[in-house]
Amino acid sequence: MSGEDLILDVADLWVAFPSYRAAPVHALKGVDLQIAPGAMIGLVGESGSGKTTLARAIMGLVPPPGVVERGRVLFAGKDLRRMDAEARRHLLGREIAMVIPNPRAELNPVIPVGRQIANVVFHHLGVSRKEATGVALDMLRAVRIPDPERRLNAYPHELSGGMAQRVVIAIALACSPKLVISDDATSGLDVTVQAQVLDLLRSMVQEKGAATLFITRDVAITAHFCTRIAVIYAGQLVEMADTRAFFARPAHPYSIMLLAAFSHNPALRARWTRAAGEIADAAGEGCAFAQRCVRRQPRCLTDIPTLRAIAPGHLARCHYPVEERQ
Amino acid sequence: MTALLEVNDLVKRFPIPGSGKVVQAVNDVSLTIERGETLSLVGESGSGKTTIGRCVLGLIDPTAGQIRFDGRAMGRGRSIRARDLRGRIQLVFQEPAESLDPRMQMGETLAEPLRYLGMNRADREQRVREVAEHLGLSERMLALYPTELSAGLQQRVGIGRAIVTRPELIVLDEPTSALDPTARAEIVDLLIRLQGELGTAYLLISHDLSTVRFISHRVAVLYLGTIVEEAESERLFARPLHPYSIGLLASVLLPDPELKRSSSISLEGEIPSPIDLPPGCPLAGRCPFADARCHKERPPVVSVGPRHLVGCFHHDRVAALDQTIDQFARFQEESNRLLSVGAD
Repeated sequence: MSGEDLILDVADLWVAFPSYRAAPVHALKGVDLQIAPGAMIGLVGESGSGKTTLARAIMGLVPPPGVVERGRVLFAGKDLRRMDAEARRHLLGREIAMVIPNPRAELNPVIPVGRQIANVVFHHLGVSRKEATGVALDMLRAVRIPDPERRLNAYPHELSGGMAQRVVIAIALACSPKLVISDDATSGLDVTVQAQVLDLLRSMVQEKGAATLFITRDVAITAHFCTRIAVIYAGQLVEMADTRAFFARPAHPYSIMLLAAFSHNPALRARWTRAAGEIADAAGEGCAFAQRCVRRQPRCLTDIPTLRAIAPGHLARCHYPVEERQ
Repeated sequence: MTALLEVNDLVKRFPIPGSGKVVQAVNDVSLTIERGETLSLVGESGSGKTTIGRCVLGLIDPTAGQIRFDGRAMGRGRSIRARDLRGRIQLVFQEPAESLDPRMQMGETLAEPLRYLGMNRADREQRVREVAEHLGLSERMLALYPTELSAGLQQRVGIGRAIVTRPELIVLDEPTSALDPTARAEIVDLLIRLQGELGTAYLLISHDLSTVRFISHRVAVLYLGTIVEEAESERLFARPLHPYSIGLLASVLLPDPELKRSSSISLEGEIPSPIDLPPGCPLAGRCPFADARCHKERPPVVSVGPRHLVGCFHHDRVAALDQTIDQFARFQEESNRLLSVGAD
C-alpha cells in the first residue's frame, strides 16, 4: 500500500527526554507503524513502555523537555512534523482526535457538556452555533446518553464516570475524524460500562470509515475490539500481527509473558517470566528484552534484533521467535 | 465454632445535607468469613463494596445491623483502633504509591504498625526481617523509598505492612486494579501463598473478576447495596443464577478473540442512583426478566444449592434459559495448550 492510501504512516520515530547530567532517555526508539482506513490497531504495553509518548508524538504534543529527534509522521500523505502550527491546529480535533482517560479532568467543569461538544464543531466545521448545537445533540444520542435534550445542559459533575467518558468520545467523533487515538480511554470504567463504550467506539469508527489507534495495557480488550495488535516494549514495537494470528500464535517471548499473566496458572507464568530481582537495565547492547527473557541466548546480549516478518503480515523483533506449534 | 467475621443485616445510609435525601449505600447485607477463607465482594462502582469494607473495619458506624469479629461486636466506638483489636484486622489499599509515606524507607514502613503493639526495637526488627523474607524483598530494598520501586513492588510492601502484625483478617480494597497485568499476577500469587502460610482470612473488594475467580473461596455479588447472589467461586462462575451476575460475568473480556462474550442476557444502561431507591428488586429497571411483581416487591434471598443464595423471583427461569459457560475455565485450558510450547 502506498503512503497516499494510508491514514497514518509513522516511520523511524525517535523521542528523547533529556536527563540532568546523563544521556537522554529514549522513550521511543525507531517506531514504524502504518494504519490503513477501517483498521483498529491495538497498541499494547506496560506502564513506561512508550505507548502514550507515541500517541503524543503523532499529535505533535510531546510534552517539553521531550523532543522528537527524528522520524516521519505522515497523515493521509501529509507530513505532520513539517506542517506549521496553524495548519496542524486545523487538523487536530477535526481529522485526528484523541480520547484520553479520566474524563472528568478532560472536560471543562464550568461549561455544560452540550456546549463543549458544540464548540468543537463550531470551531472546525464553520457551521452556525445553532447547527453546532444540533450536531452536539445528535452526538449525545449516538453515544446513547439517556435523555440527551436535558443532558445538553448538564455540567460534567452531574454525569457518572461512564457518561462523562461517552461525552469525551462524542467530542472526539463529532467532526468525523479520520483517525481516532484512544489512550487507555476505558481503563477507569466498570466492566459492564466498558463493554458498552467499546462497542460504541467500534461501531462509530466503522460507520464513519475512520481508523483507530487503541492504546491499552490490557491485552484482553484488544482481542475483542481490534483488527491488528502491536506490542510495544521499551520504546520499540516487538511484535505486530492480525488479531487472530497474534492470539493463536504469539511469537515474541514478551507477548507470551503478557498473555501468560492472564492465565492464573503459576507454573505457566513461571515458564515465561524471569523472577523479579534478576532484571537489570538493558543498556544499549543487544535486545532490550533480553534481561527479562526466558529464551535468552548469548547472541541476544550483543546483537540488536530487527522487526522482521516471521509469517505473512506477522512481525517480531526477536532472534529466536516462538514459531513452532503443535 | 463461631465464624471469624459475621455481618448481620448491615444497613448504611448517608444523609445528603440540606436536601432531606438519603444515599442508601448498604441495604440489609449479611455475610460471614471463616478463618483462612477468602470472600470477595464484586459489583460496579456505587454498589456499596467499599462502604461494607469500612463498616467491617469500624471506620464508619453502621446505621443498623451488627458486625461481630471473633464473636465480639464491632462498631459504636469499637474499631480496629481498639486496644484488643489492634493488629488483628488489617487493610490494603488500591493505590500503592499514594498509601505509602514517601519519606519512609520500606523497612520503616513495614515496622510502623508494630510500634502501636508495644513491641521493642529488637522484636520489631526481627518481625520485619521475617516479613521481608515472606515477600521476597532483599535487605537492600528495605532501605529504598517508595519512588524508587515499581508499582508492583510498592504493593508488595503495602501487603507486607498488613501482614506484619499477623492479622486474622485483611480487607483488600482493589489491591490489583492500579497494576500492570504482570505485576497483578505476581500480587495474586503472593496473596494466595501468604494465605496458605499464615492462614489469614481475606475480604477482597474488587471489580477485577478474573482475579476474583482464582483467589476466592466464595463470592458475593453486590448490586445497589444488596447482595443479589452468593456462592462458592467455581459454582458462581460456572452457573450464575441471578440476571445481574450473568450480565456482569458476560462483560468480562479475556485475551482470546475466540472467547466471544456470549450470553442470552444483556444488561442495558447503568447502575441507577442509590438515592431514594424504589421498592422492589433493585435490578428491575435493567433486567430482561422483570415483571410487575419485580417492580413492587423486593425478592427474598433463597437457597438454591449448597451455600448458594440468590435474590431473584425468576432464578428458575434464568437457570432454564441461560447457557453461560465458565469462560475463565475455558480460557485457562486454552492458554495452557497455547503457551505450553517453546520455552526452554
